[in-house]
Amino acid sequence: MSGASIVEGFRAAAGKVGAEVVVVDGVDAAIRHVAARAGGAIVCPEFPSGVRWGLADRLRAAGSEVIDGDFRTHAPRAGAGLTGANFAIAATGTVVLESTAEALRLASTLPIRHFVLLDPRKIVADSTAAVPCLRQLHERLPQAFLAYITGPSRTADIERVLTIGVHGPKELHILLCEGLSDDFLES
Amino acid sequence: MSKQRTRAYKARIDQALATPRLQDTLHRFADAYLLAREAAFAGHDFEALRTGIAAMKDEVRERREEYIARFTRNAKAAGATVYLARTAQEANAYIVSLARQRRVKLVTKSKSMASEETHLNQALEEAGVRVLETDLGEWIIQLAGQRPSHMVMPAIHMSKEEVAELFGKVTGKVEPAEIPHLVQLAREQLRQGYLDADMGISGANLAVAETGGIALVTNEGNARLVTTLPKIHVALVGIEKLVPTLEDAHKVIDVLPKNATGQLSTSYVSWIRGAVPCGDAPKELHIVLLDNGRSALAESPHCRDALRCIKCGACANVCPVYQTVGGHVFGHIYISAIGIILTAFCHGLENAAELVRTCIGCRACVAVCPSKIDLESIILHLREVLGEEEGIGAGKALVFKRIMRNRTLFHTMIRAASLLQKPVTRGERTIRHLPLFFAGLTEWRSLPAIADKPLRDQWPSLPQQVDRPRYRVAFFAGCLNDFVYPELGHDLVRVLNRLGVTVSFPKEQNCCGVPALYSGDRDTATALAGQNVAALLADDPDFVVTTCPTCTMALQRDIKDLLRDHPRWAAKAERLAAITLDVSRFIVEKCDGGQALAGLAAPEKVTYHDSCHLKRGAGVWREPRRLLADSGRELVEMGHADRCCGFGGSYSFTSHPDIARRILGDKVADIAATGAACVAMDCPGCLMQIRGGLDKQGPPVRVAHTITLLAETLA
Repeated sequence: MSGASIVEGFRAAAGKVGAEVVVVDGVDAAIRHVAARAGGAIVCPEFPSGVRWGLADRLRAAGSEVIDGDFRTHAPRAGAGLTGANFAIAATGTVVLESTAEALRLASTLPIRHFVLLDPRKIVADSTAAVPCLRQLHERLPQAFLAYITGPSRTADIERVLTIGVHGPKELHILLCEGLSDDFLES
Repeated sequence: MSKQRTRAYKARIDQALATPRLQDTLHRFADAYLLAREAAFAGHDFEALRTGIAAMKDEVRERREEYIARFTRNAKAAGATVYLARTAQEANAYIVSLARQRRVKLVTKSKSMASEETHLNQALEEAGVRVLETDLGEWIIQLAGQRPSHMVMPAIHMSKEEVAELFGKVTGKVEPAEIPHLVQLAREQLRQGYLDADMGISGANLAVAETGGIALVTNEGNARLVTTLPKIHVALVGIEKLVPTLEDAHKVIDVLPKNATGQLSTSYVSWIRGAVPCGDAPKELHIVLLDNGRSALAESPHCRDALRCIKCGACANVCPVYQTVGGHVFGHIYISAIGIILTAFCHGLENAAELVRTCIGCRACVAVCPSKIDLESIILHLREVLGEEEGIGAGKALVFKRIMRNRTLFHTMIRAASLLQKPVTRGERTIRHLPLFFAGLTEWRSLPAIADKPLRDQWPSLPQQVDRPRYRVAFFAGCLNDFVYPELGHDLVRVLNRLGVTVSFPKEQNCCGVPALYSGDRDTATALAGQNVAALLADDPDFVVTTCPTCTMALQRDIKDLLRDHPRWAAKAERLAAITLDVSRFIVEKCDGGQALAGLAAPEKVTYHDSCHLKRGAGVWREPRRLLADSGRELVEMGHADRCCGFGGSYSFTSHPDIARRILGDKVADIAATGAACVAMDCPGCLMQIRGGLDKQGPPVRVAHTITLLAETLA
């Protein structure tokens, strides 16, 4: 699969499971997109590309309320969480987030919306191609919490009717932002 | 004890059958499941995928001590505490004691069948610890005080109205029975639980030896919260969840959601290795590896393949019996086909004693199992074990041991029965009513009468005309063909003669042994196998052909197994298995695709019913369709063509007639919906069942064996 078709495959698969996938032109556009749709305070934990691009400050500058500390207290009331992604898997529309740091897990589980910034250069074709990255992450981290995230939280436990957002985020927004990071080991 | 147990079991069946909403729900689910599953596997080679999983799991089973040690070493290195529990009691005691030591007041749980297996909630609550299930389905059944009726969808048996009523008791208000509202209510009610809990308990879908980590495959996201928020995380993991590497883990993850719910992937797969941060300190992670009968299962040569199970629940989804009675009848803690086996090993044979008979033997589960477990064979073996322990019933024992093994006596008795039935047949070929306590048997299907003269007695006067024979075949008729439908033998001879084949009828042939084997009497089945091998190979035929797929399976598969350790018979059984073919495959493969029969029929609209043992036993389903279409008929497919008709031999007569009746009702509806004038099939058992059902409750559709339809074009 070529680069372009991998990205298209990812968009189609992620869209099919209810994720919103948009292409944004640079970090500022990404910030504008998130700020406009957060629906409340934004949990913005530290992650390497986020720190590098100064996301928390930019969100504040865009007028958003940013939660960047004391996450256990504040994350439950937040409108959104913002994280990066280590990489993604086209076949299933999955984003992979190494979220060993607790704040990343809180940001991606508790708020109603989860925004993920993903560099489209970090999309692999399928789970087979994902394994080497997963292994490298395990080698690097003595303790690890790695998450495959595919669409929003869902259940079909009552009469098999698919219902979105039972415990985790009700909305998953994936922002394809080229130039963010090409390192599969960081988010 | 066992009579009381059987009465309780029958009462559960009656209750389930009296709940039409349950059948509706499960039927609709089954239909949607099949479509979703097919779409999910599009472009994937299911056979290759499941062969890969089976091989990987078998290797883990063989070297399990090594993998347990490796997993434990790596998990400990990452800061986890690992405890190997030999029994459910040990697992519960460890977790309860930990909860006590840490003064745990509230536990939040994500879905774990292993904890259902050990009755962990009960153990914790007895120790004064409150337990909150957070998986929506698990929470519902916790509130209802029930157990899961499905491995993946625990509350599938409940309606939204019932759920609303349960939730109303929690909130103290009347809650509307609207699903989005109920889901939102669960979100709000359970959210505080995660934050307040002192301990989170999860299961695991995988334990990866390479990393010492576990993986959780979920949709709701509750497992992520359960494993993140409380200070202590306990993962209760059956040792069968071990996989060697991350590649192996992905073999399971690639298949599990597709086969469980028709999803390409679940919303979340969480890979957790070691004591990850929790607040200001590392989390306290305990992994309880649960044996509880799994090692015994690994040591059982007949049953050990069941350890390959990845707990997808597909065997329930496709099971016609499950669709009819649900998991509270067809299950103990684990449900449906795999549930029978796991119950026997995790909860004791006594708890599986009724369940081994619930299976109708249609092999639908075998076809969809992602780990390639021959569930039906294992269930048959457990039936044998139980037959030896509890007996198979005095009546059956008498018939099998004293009568069937003595062919002359057996056949004399059938002949006598043909005379005795005269008062009810009134000289006709169909019994529509039976007197007294047999009446129930013909209430929903008529039954065929035993023929005046069995095929074996008609054979010497059956003319055969073949100028230059290309094959000499022996015909194994089976009891139904011989004594009930002798005309099928005439049809077979007519068709095969036209194709240049002479047919003999070895008179010493006896019952194929399946009724005895399926009832748990292996000794009788073995005795019959020996008799049939001798009879069928006596004249050294080129092939042995059959018109009954259950007999085909007996000759192709069971006799090899039954006679494996008999030095006199083993090689001959192999030979017989190798030359046995059902007649449609014989025609297609050995007689030029049956071209001599093509284009002779009128363009009648015909639909085809796949017999379980023909499609999923012998792997034959294209051949009869091809012969019927080539003959000039218009072939239309019915819905669920390969779903069991509910015959199942003694299943529909003695063990579970009420379930068989419902399954037949489904089949009759599918046939009627096609508008076909005729339904074809290749099994005299299905013929009896479907003809009887259409006769009593369906439209006037003709029911015929394929060989009959082929023969009549030659008239």
